[in-house]
Amino acid sequence: MSGQAQKNGGAVLVAGGNPQSLCQAAAAALPLAREVEATVEGVFLRGLPGDSEDLPDQLGGLVERLFVYSDDPGAAATGQALAAALLARVEEREPALIILGDHPFSREAAARLALRLGGSCASMCERIHVDEAGRLRAERPLYGGVASGSLLLANQPAVCVLAPASGQELALEGRPEVEERTLSPAGPHKVTLVASQTLQKTVDLAGARRVVSVGRGFARAEDIALAEELVQMLEAELGCSRPIAEDFKWLPQERLVGLTGTAVSPDLYLALGISGQVQHLAGIKGARVVAAINTDPRCPIVRNADYTVLGDLYKVLPALKEALAQGRNGG
Amino acid sequence: MRIVVCAKHVVDSTEVRFDEKTEQLVLANLPTKISDYDRNALEAAVVLKERLDDCRLDVVMVGGPEAQKTLKEAVAMGADQGYLIEGGWESAQDPLRTARVLTRAIEEMGVPDLLLFGLYSEDGYNGLTGAAVAELLELPYLAPVVSLEADEDSVEAELLLPGLLWTARASLPCVLGIDSTMNVPRLPTVLQVMKVKGDRIRTFTLSDLGLSASGLEELPGVRLESYAGGGVERKGIVIEGPPAQAAEELVKRLEEEGVLL
Repeated sequence: MSGQAQKNGGAVLVAGGNPQSLCQAAAAALPLAREVEATVEGVFLRGLPGDSEDLPDQLGGLVERLFVYSDDPGAAATGQALAAALLARVEEREPALIILGDHPFSREAAARLALRLGGSCASMCERIHVDEAGRLRAERPLYGGVASGSLLLANQPAVCVLAPASGQELALEGRPEVEERTLSPAGPHKVTLVASQTLQKTVDLAGARRVVSVGRGFARAEDIALAEELVQMLEAELGCSRPIAEDFKWLPQERLVGLTGTAVSPDLYLALGISGQVQHLAGIKGARVVAAINTDPRCPIVRNADYTVLGDLYKVLPALKEALAQGRNGG
Repeated sequence: MRIVVCAKHVVDSTEVRFDEKTEQLVLANLPTKISDYDRNALEAAVVLKERLDDCRLDVVMVGGPEAQKTLKEAVAMGADQGYLIEGGWESAQDPLRTARVLTRAIEEMGVPDLLLFGLYSEDGYNGLTGAAVAELLELPYLAPVVSLEADEDSVEAELLLPGLLWTARASLPCVLGIDSTMNVPRLPTVLQVMKVKGDRIRTFTLSDLGLSASGLEELPGVRLESYAGGGVERKGIVIEGPPAQAAEELVKRLEEEGVLL
């Protein structure tokens, strides 16, 4: 990469606001690093959410070296301190590219780091690559996914934050060489952690083979029970569109499928009463088959589904359950 | 206490489409509005203002003359004053460059105790601008905020992180990124919007802020080189008929696809 990312001996730095986010960044960096013969180095900060001793095992062979920085124990490990840790490693290694996995702290760290370093910064990146002219580019959705834009990352180092992960992440045998470092000078200490509460993780939308999602076609919160029966029959995971999670708050944010929620990649995505706004469609691009039930033949989901049953979901849903039960009884 | 909300003037993102024939985004003559996520930030600020004695709340927005209407609507939600930064430098659009413009305006207005942003904008979905302004003002940033308490010297907020709810405390001044699940924004009435008189809107030009469009272009950033339609090709088969028949047909199709149990 002429002046963009130096061949041989160069590094791609990867980081994230939690271990999953770091692994996502490492998996995204690997093919690119191989192409330009650079090594992938991980940066993490003690005290970030999900920090644990087995971080090197989680990363496996995705990174060659892992630098774990410790800040003052009184300070909360947020994006600001993560940016300080990255900055420390950037000054030593001078990478052309820094990739962070999807996480709120990743976005904060990326913005702060890019401003400090005078680099280009892009978020929601679905693909990062080197073009024919040897320049770094990132593909990201525009207007919630109506179009996909190709951004030129003209200023180095480029700092990219990935779009939410969809599906299974790449895993590689191995274990990185780990170096523990102390952040010096210590971080800015303006944020302290008062309490941390683990939220019960009951939802695995990203890894689900089948997803049944509900939208505004449901008139009342109680009616979602109708979809839940189907979820059980199909051994699926329950998802929803933005109005259900964000406007009506009938389901928690962790069930939101779309650009600001989870990107899914199931074999079957069944959209019940979902019109198919672009930011929702952006989250189901990875689905193998999309089926929908909707009353409106002109709504976007019809063009963006493989099969759409046109009709009132309150009538079609019971019929669908019956048809599935019959099929299962050999009928 | 002084609070400032940075709100974005956007085209209604649900109306934007990609024309397959011309391979262009269709953006002309679309309705414009306050970005949805910023309404949540405004609501959070108005609730704080109602709760605290002696609290001033201002809104700042970037945009052309057509953004006046959007800004008035934002002010009508319960702010004291609106500040419009004149647009025209959109060619330089990049969240980090926008953050530099906002930062200069906020310095002119006086750095407030709390500076609120929506977590994302509904057109760009960058989620970078609030953190970037925090960096430029050397302030802490808390996000995604789902609940909020503030006193004279500090703010305590619950942050909704993947799998975790963190309660974090920061000294003031502080920048906050408000999550859309935090509240249900109020809708100002037409009368309330009409009552926002011109003297409650102040305008900054770039030169008022010591900036220029060409200077912004020279700053580090990203450049949109090209774009293509964002959709995935699907079969688009429509199944009609009585519910029982249509449901059977769907099950048959899904069995053929091999995606049922």
